[in-house]
Amino acid sequence: MKTIIEVRGSSVQALFLIVLSITMMVVDHRFQHLEIVRTNVSLALSPIRYLVSLPSTGGNWLGEWFTSHTELLNENEELKAQGRILNARLQKLEILAEENARLRNLLGSSRKIADDVIVAELLSVDQNPYSQLIEINRGSSDGVEIGHAVIDDFGIMGQVIHVNAQSATIILISDPEHAIPVQFIRSGTRSVAFGRGSTRQLELRYLPATADIKIDDELVTSGLGGRFPPDYPVATVTAITEDRVLGFVSVFAQPKARLDSSREVLVIKPRQ
Amino acid sequence: MSQLKYLVIYLSLLAALVLMILPLPDWAQIYRPNWMALVLIYWSMALPKRVGLWFAFFSGIILDTSLGTLLGQHTLALVLIIAINMNFYQRIRVLALAQQAIYVFVLLLINQVVVAWVEGFLGRSTPLLAFFGAPFVGMLIWPWVFVVLRDIRRKAALR
Repeated sequence: MKTIIEVRGSSVQALFLIVLSITMMVVDHRFQHLEIVRTNVSLALSPIRYLVSLPSTGGNWLGEWFTSHTELLNENEELKAQGRILNARLQKLEILAEENARLRNLLGSSRKIADDVIVAELLSVDQNPYSQLIEINRGSSDGVEIGHAVIDDFGIMGQVIHVNAQSATIILISDPEHAIPVQFIRSGTRSVAFGRGSTRQLELRYLPATADIKIDDELVTSGLGGRFPPDYPVATVTAITEDRVLGFVSVFAQPKARLDSSREVLVIKPRQ
Repeated sequence: MSQLKYLVIYLSLLAALVLMILPLPDWAQIYRPNWMALVLIYWSMALPKRVGLWFAFFSGIILDTSLGTLLGQHTLALVLIIAINMNFYQRIRVLALAQQAIYVFVLLLINQVVVAWVEGFLGRSTPLLAFFGAPFVGMLIWPWVFVVLRDIRRKAALR
């Protein structure tokens, strides 16, 4: 039988732990103090994370092992062709970049031409269905810092929110808590694109009904706010809905980056 | 040696953690039962003197870190349901498995309410299917969790 003192002791303990967890949540939400707890616990758990990622890694490895010779030859051929085309384009781009730099010099404005990048691979996708986070295999030892932008070959994917020694957590631009400053290429209109929890859609809210926006307009980062480097592709406008009463339009856009299928990503280090 | 056999408790919690973070296809994600809660409910029911609130607390912190949720979100939920369980386990322990499963469903639902409440506080809504789906699956697998962990406990002669 439980004694009364025991019962009382356990409910005091429960109350204490409940208050403690609520305090932790508030602190974690508002401040950065608990980052160290997170970092250490996830470092201790990294063998488990590795274990969990083994089946998919093993599957990839087996898949590569069993790719047939002819397939490899074909792929090689294709890649070579692609390489040639890209090289040709690159030559053109280099000339353009030079011209651009010259013109900018003429205008007297200075501008970063290129950013440093770190190539990283996807470790895992966050299991929480309510948020859109991914984990990559580069961390503070590789120079990744909180706030660095992350892109794939098609456009902006997100930004770094936690850094461990060997890994980092990325919040995707489609996370409902994420917003990214953007600019329409065609009209130059600036806005902010919010995530909606779906990897296929971003939303730009409360644009004036008179704004010059068309379907298929391209959105790039505006560089305002200082987090994302300017002029990286973000999304393409897919739908425009008008609120006639309030006189606003909401614009929906599909992210350029393959948020749900890219495995290799680039972390952009802003130049000092 | 006598302490060493309690390692199976930690190992079972570790297995639950692996099941919690194992990648699943998107559609199956919302039906993933809360393995951590199931295993904790079992141990706190079987060995309440040994596995209690502190276990729930630290398991919760580990779960929050692994899932990338707010630190304290799953912790609060787990502490709450284990605290409830500590008050009822003597009556529940003797019930038939099917009746236990209903009780476990209620506990998992309370767990879900807390997690969804914090999500709502952060401005993210929980889909209805996800809200009821996971506890329901948890209820269905409870009998198996119970039997497997009971056999493990008997093999290891834990009391």
